Amino acid sequence: MTDQHLPVAAPGDARRAAVRVVRQDGRVFGVTVGLNALATVAGLVGPWLLGQIINTVENGGAVGTIDRLALLILLCALVQLVLTRYARYIGARFGEQASARIRELFLGRVLRLPASVVERISTGDLTTRGTGDVTTVASTLRGAIPDVLVGAVQSVFILAAVFVVNPLLGACGVVGLLGIWFANRWYLRRARSAYLDLGAANSVLAEVLVSTAHGARTVEALGLQERRIQATVDAIEQCRRHRMRALSLRTVLFPTIDISYFLPLVGVLLVGGALYDNGAISLGAVVTSALYLRQLSGPLEIIELWIDLLQSCAASFARLEGLTQLRVTEPAVDVAPADDRIEVSGVHYAYTSGRDVLHGVDLDIRPGERLAIVGPSGAGKSTLGRLLAGIDHPRVGAVTVGGVAVADLPPDQLRRQIVLVTQEYHVFHDSIRHNLLVAKPSATDAELHAALDAVGARWLAELPDGLDTELGGKGYRLDSGRAQQLALCRVVLADPHTLVLDEATAMLDPTTARNTERALSAVLAGRTVVAIAHRLHTAHDAHRVAVLADGRLTETGTHDELLAVDGAYADLWRSWHSEGRHGSRPTTG
Amino acid sequence: MVDHSGYRDPDSTEIRSATRYLWWLITSQGRQVALAAVLGTVWMVGLTLPPYVLSKAIDDGMGPGRFGSLLTWVLILLAVGVFDAGVSIWRHRTLTKVRMDAAFRTVRALVEQSTRLGGALDRKVTAGEVATIGIGDVWVISMSLTVVGPGVGAVVAYFVVAGLLLSISSVLAVIVLLGAPLVAVLVGPLLGRLRTVGTVYREQQGDLTTRMVDIVEGLRVLNGIGGKDMYAQRYRHDSQRLRAEGFRVGAVSSWIPALGVGLPLVFLAVVTWVAARMAAAHTISIGDLVAVYGFVAVLVVPVAEFIENCSYLSQSVVSARRVIAVLGVRPDKQAGGAAPDGPAELCDPCSGVDVAAGRLTALAANRPEDAAEVVDRLGAFQASDATWGGIPLRDIDISHIRDRILVADNEADIFTGTVREVIGGRFDPADPAIERALHVAAAEDIVDGLPARLASTVAPQARDLSGGQRQRIRLVRALLAEPEVLLATEPTSAVDAHTEATIAARLTAERAGRTTLLTTTSPLLLDRADVVHYLVAGKVAATGTHRDLLVSDPGYRALVSRGLDDDTAATG
Repeated sequence: MTDQHLPVAAPGDARRAAVRVVRQDGRVFGVTVGLNALATVAGLVGPWLLGQIINTVENGGAVGTIDRLALLILLCALVQLVLTRYARYIGARFGEQASARIRELFLGRVLRLPASVVERISTGDLTTRGTGDVTTVASTLRGAIPDVLVGAVQSVFILAAVFVVNPLLGACGVVGLLGIWFANRWYLRRARSAYLDLGAANSVLAEVLVSTAHGARTVEALGLQERRIQATVDAIEQCRRHRMRALSLRTVLFPTIDISYFLPLVGVLLVGGALYDNGAISLGAVVTSALYLRQLSGPLEIIELWIDLLQSCAASFARLEGLTQLRVTEPAVDVAPADDRIEVSGVHYAYTSGRDVLHGVDLDIRPGERLAIVGPSGAGKSTLGRLLAGIDHPRVGAVTVGGVAVADLPPDQLRRQIVLVTQEYHVFHDSIRHNLLVAKPSATDAELHAALDAVGARWLAELPDGLDTELGGKGYRLDSGRAQQLALCRVVLADPHTLVLDEATAMLDPTTARNTERALSAVLAGRTVVAIAHRLHTAHDAHRVAVLADGRLTETGTHDELLAVDGAYADLWRSWHSEGRHGSRPTTG
Repeated sequence: MVDHSGYRDPDSTEIRSATRYLWWLITSQGRQVALAAVLGTVWMVGLTLPPYVLSKAIDDGMGPGRFGSLLTWVLILLAVGVFDAGVSIWRHRTLTKVRMDAAFRTVRALVEQSTRLGGALDRKVTAGEVATIGIGDVWVISMSLTVVGPGVGAVVAYFVVAGLLLSISSVLAVIVLLGAPLVAVLVGPLLGRLRTVGTVYREQQGDLTTRMVDIVEGLRVLNGIGGKDMYAQRYRHDSQRLRAEGFRVGAVSSWIPALGVGLPLVFLAVVTWVAARMAAAHTISIGDLVAVYGFVAVLVVPVAEFIENCSYLSQSVVSARRVIAVLGVRPDKQAGGAAPDGPAELCDPCSGVDVAAGRLTALAANRPEDAAEVVDRLGAFQASDATWGGIPLRDIDISHIRDRILVADNEADIFTGTVREVIGGRFDPADPAIERALHVAAAEDIVDGLPARLASTVAPQARDLSGGQRQRIRLVRALLAEPEVLLATEPTSAVDAHTEATIAARLTAERAGRTTLLTTTSPLLLDRADVVHYLVAGKVAATGTHRDLLVSDPGYRALVSRGLDDDTAATG
């Protein structure tokens, strides 16, 4: 089973999605922009008043007028301070709100992924997106977006203000700034891939660190210290290379922006000087315009500061949005299965196209029977089990329960039909109650206790908080046997008519396995059971045995019938059984 | 380059406090930092040049017939712009390298510390803590190193502006100098408050991240058994709680940039007022007035930078504390004694297990954790009275033990890399040796099934392989290390009976004449062992061959036959 890489959204899709996010909080966004605009206006009044002061001084105006104007400047500064604070505050709220929405949306998408996709994608990648990328987008929305917004609004207002003072000078400003637009286009065209690479390199570096810390014991046991350090050095080198690449792009962009901002100033001074010469404009107007354009340095620098983060944010956002490209569960057929009969007909299945692991399997499972599927490793037993449990559609053929394709059933329907029990079980970092309620949200405490009793989980009584005991992480740690009981308890609550057991107890130690098997028999009572088995005693106890070899069903029948046939099963049985019987020989014979 | 950077010596002083650690990050790249400080200062001071030139251009260049002079000043202004841009990008490049160095140095120190602590790490720090540092704190710390450039520059620029004003009017200079303490008084407490709310926020953010990981990892359960709605709701609930907390953070944090920009503007207003009156009284020229306005307006940048850097620093102290908490852990005390010269017997007095030199010993425990404890003691992963050739393990230099005794855990980690790298471990085994080990572990089919055989890349923890495949890969890795003593826990628990029988036969042949201990309850392996210890409640209850024990000990028989007796009875 190869890990399938998760897709990344194309720039256009990501942009549209970003616009949608902004739209949803359109009002708050509007208020942020509005407050920023007001703060900027307040900031623009200062230089204008200074121009007035200069004109007043030039004309030998009264000190009283100067005082009034200066007091207004002070007031404007205070107003700007307060407005900026509220603009930031609302901006932060917008960012917080939007990031909450984005992460909830992402989780929703994760939960809608069909089982077949979940089985094949890399959980590591999904986890990185759910943690690292969600955090990056959130922090950018909180910090960078409001800042950049402020910068953009300020730039626009500053240019507009110059236009108001003198349209010709305003035009000088706009023309001077054109270089920034070109530099940005050049940069953005290259930055995306550079920052995607950088994000990937960061993940690799984090992975090296985390896996080394997690596997420190293994490192010591196998003497891998130098290998791990070398892996770190390599990951660092990769990371450095990508950072330097991104830096080289900025090395072009930043100076262009910095120099570009002087050009409008130069234009205004030359044109303004000429106009003032001809008496077409006041000195105050030239000074005001020049000071306005000076103010551009602030917002432009802020945008420069954040452009880095904006790029990583865009990359992260594209990774979050990439999930939409995966096929998600369609609202499944609304037809309830007619009965409990499971039919497998003409099933072919391939993990990678062209390499079928099942070649035309036909099998009827009778309600109430116990069927064991046996065969050597790699014969396709687990694959057949996954198809029976509705995790995936067969490539060709059908797996149906009561006439409905199993893989089309929605989860809450499916779990009342067929449940797959494997050796992998997951305990949520949550209370025991919530760990169980997943299987039956409406269950009462009495039902939960009854289900726990059924699987023999008497240890619950030892826990002071009972059902409210928190598990995992900082909470109570269940050993593997108890965790398995918890998993089986969920099955009892889900109450399906059919169970598919895929080596449910193979990884457990024998004592635990025995307890679990006891618990299991309580769970199995009254249900159809398909057991995929490596150990043959499971087969011996079954009503019927199906032998799978190389993706084909080679023999079916009862244990005794198959022994009588003396085929592959009889071979398997003898090879396994004789090994175990050495010891028992003295007692039996 | 990282290689010659020289990293943290375990006994060094820089891990005694968070600030010392940050200081170490700064001093260990002294030249770059000095360059960053110089460039930061030049850049910041350079910001005062444009207003000066601008004021000159207005004073000298505006008016009839002064166009030539205007042109000169405008060209100078442009030159200043190019100069500033050059200094600015040089500063940015230097700072980026400084930040990178700090981040990488920290990551490397953490990796080295992990490898140094080895098995002791788990007992002292959780891998989760290291992960949090690797993903978040490293970058917070690296960001705070920005202080060496603009931070230093801001302070210098502040005084330069004051100095420039002094040339125009001493009153104005004094007003500006008095502003600095005012900023500190207003902003200081805010930063403290921000740190408090920020900590709560980060904690909740961590919880939410944990829940996301939990859900992703439990997706199979949610798909098979249900509970998606419930977890969607619970996530939403936590997410909304974080949002509310974020609003609280925003209420405080929004003041910081507002003051950063606003306070200098208030000064500016005050200074402009005073200067305007002076201009009206002809104490200073109109050009001076414009210059004063420009100089003080320049202060916006250093003040804002300074406040921002203080904010980074205050966060990074918290992060650095987490880093030194890991770096400060001391490895277990090391002994320096000699190991036995040749193959020798291992004894664990606590359980009564002995592992004879050159023999295959099996350990069947009714509680698997007991067997794992015995292996931990014999493999010196736990302090104990265990001996090797009569010498207490705790007195032997650990490096001798690791060179000669290999503990192969059932759940040992698999690091990402090519199959060849994974199974080669610290060695570079030749192809024939690899093929042989693959054969012994019945793992040829795994390698043959991969697209590029030995050159195929395995995902972290070999998540792309099945449980049985992972186990065989681990066995191949252990075999290729060719240890004098191999202590393996449950090496075949996840493979089918067929394969297990194959491995049992080949493994015994491969390890013939070498000391091997296997913990297992599989009759297939036990039957091959020279001697089997049956462990009950952590103590040896019986010793003998598998067949002897089957006869003599009903408890042992029950343990290893796993329902076999029932089968025998049924068929018998």
